[in-house]
Amino acid sequence: MSDAVPRALEDGLRLAMPFVAALLVGSILLAITGRDPFSTYAELFNEALGGQSRIAATLTAATPLIFTGLATAIAFRAGVFNVGVEGSFYLGGLAAAWVGFAWIGLGGTLQMLAALGFGALVGGLWMLLPGWLRARMDVDEVVTTLMLNFIAIGIALWLVNGPLLAAGSANSATPMVLAEARLPRLIPPSTLNAGFLIGLAALVVYGVWLRLRVGGFENRLVGLNPRFARSVGISVSSVILLAIVLSGVIGGLGGATHALGVVGRFSEGFSPGYGFTGIAVALLGRNRPVGILIGALIFGALTSAGTTVQLFADIPLDLVQVLEGTVMMLAVVEAVRWARRRRAVRAVAP
Amino acid sequence: MLKPVLIAGAAALALSATGAAFAQDPVALVIAQGGLGDQSYNDLAHQGFMAATEETGVEGRVLESRDVVAQGEQILRRAAESDFGLVVDLEYAHGEVMEAVAPDYPDTEFVVLNQVREGDNITSVLFSEHEGSYLAGALAAMVTTNTDIPGINEDANIGVIGGTRSVGIDKFLVGFVQGAREINPDVQVQVAYANTFGDPATGQQMAEAMFENGADIVYQVAGGTGLGVIQAAEAAGHYAIGVDTDQDGLAPGHVLTSMIKRVDVAVADVVEAYAGGSLEGGQVRNYSLADNGVGLSEMIHTRDLLPADYLARIDELRDGIIAGDIVVVNVIEDGYPDFFQ
Repeated sequence: MSDAVPRALEDGLRLAMPFVAALLVGSILLAITGRDPFSTYAELFNEALGGQSRIAATLTAATPLIFTGLATAIAFRAGVFNVGVEGSFYLGGLAAAWVGFAWIGLGGTLQMLAALGFGALVGGLWMLLPGWLRARMDVDEVVTTLMLNFIAIGIALWLVNGPLLAAGSANSATPMVLAEARLPRLIPPSTLNAGFLIGLAALVVYGVWLRLRVGGFENRLVGLNPRFARSVGISVSSVILLAIVLSGVIGGLGGATHALGVVGRFSEGFSPGYGFTGIAVALLGRNRPVGILIGALIFGALTSAGTTVQLFADIPLDLVQVLEGTVMMLAVVEAVRWARRRRAVRAVAP
Repeated sequence: MLKPVLIAGAAALALSATGAAFAQDPVALVIAQGGLGDQSYNDLAHQGFMAATEETGVEGRVLESRDVVAQGEQILRRAAESDFGLVVDLEYAHGEVMEAVAPDYPDTEFVVLNQVREGDNITSVLFSEHEGSYLAGALAAMVTTNTDIPGINEDANIGVIGGTRSVGIDKFLVGFVQGAREINPDVQVQVAYANTFGDPATGQQMAEAMFENGADIVYQVAGGTGLGVIQAAEAAGHYAIGVDTDQDGLAPGHVLTSMIKRVDVAVADVVEAYAGGSLEGGQVRNYSLADNGVGLSEMIHTRDLLPADYLARIDELRDGIIAGDIVVVNVIEDGYPDFFQ
């Protein structure tokens, strides 16, 4: 208990460091191109948080990243480097959109819940194969989950170009989901919707789960030291399998809320790489609920502010991409440390 | 209610001359997926937008987003709430969102491309891609049996690759096939869909397969995927036909022609009409062969390979379409014809 405050401080610094570094890199770039870094950042900040509608926009943009960050963290905790959340997000989104437009007659809230549930289910099922391969056959999940992303995106694009294509559409998109299946908006007319609350609830559940002996603690122990975990009677393979599948469930649920809450269907360009940004969110947030939330909010703010600020100021999208890229690059430093430890642990595990 | 309007180039010029007389709110251009630098749709629209804002003196802002699909509603509302008078949105996926958002902001005009959206303050811009594609098909059918032209075999066999199987893309394909059949009713047209607009490798493989099956000219209607079609044509010594912009220079001598959509003209026109105070919502502006809104490229790299009577025949067909003597099937309005099911 006594070291809780320094640890929180250390976490905070680790989280803040990449962003401070990114802002520095960005300001050098701005200065070179003859712009004033301070006023530029002030405009970005104002566009991200200046007033209720801007905050709502930032929270909306953060919502998919809460899910993908959390999904990634669940796996990371168990020592599983799942980089396949993007695939679960895609397929979960498509599955939910399909229920949303095709299951006519189910009615209102029930249809919405069915769509959410089906999205989560499909996201979880998608991770069954790499989970099983990792848990039982010790096949490296980094390779399998990364490859499965391409397959998931291929399947989704094929479906949305064929059986699920909206009639009359010139680009790859499903029909719009029925109005009753859309997630309710929290502060109309802003796009902030119940998906954000579902994301927060998932973080809370995750936080509680972490403190449970059966579940969170086992999960963590397996991640830290599988050999020790096995010696105290924990079924390492089932913990690993559960972690990967749960990760897929959350990723699929994220896709479902994105389809039902923001986009209103599945279409080409459904995710600009939320699953991959989620990896950075989990790494920066040290797999902790509050850290994930903060990480998602920062990336969300960059996305929403970085887009609409172009209406008012000559701030190119490139700047935002440099900021995002720098943060992600520094998050990888964390990943490398993590991977080293993981290799060391796996080397001693039988 | 939607009523079609015909656009004359001269009208646009006249409007721009009076544009300075009106005090105007700023205008915004929303860039579609693929982003600036695509050497195609976005870049062309951007050119038209920049030229028109410069000419009319209206303040113009260009918005790009890596997450443009999800940001759509946010962008449209933010622009309208910030007193933008005109928002030209290039992103196809924003159509429904625009229809939902526009009624909340009656003082802002919205423009959507390649689809028709209802709303008193929504202007829909369409292109008669079927007409331009018809000319491309006719030219391909003439060339494909002329073995005097390098890289051409004797088979009456050509191909077309669509980005996705949808009426919006089939509008091009059907026009192309109809034009080819006009020249040679027995021509064989291989049709395939890539299911993606962003994968040149797929486009290349599909074009190679068509060349192996006897085709010597392949029309690409597949955006970035189509760049692979052009690469395949260059590598195999055959021909591609470009789309949207003048792609003849991407592989000089191996792009027979390009079916150009003047997105730049369309975007410039709406900005100029807005600046001149004459942009009325609730209308469909159609750009056809007659307005030079669509058409074949200048063919600067291939023109010398072709017999003069081919080009004369193309001009004849073009005049016939403009005069209404030739009716090209528009699958969006007319449904699918018997020769293309």
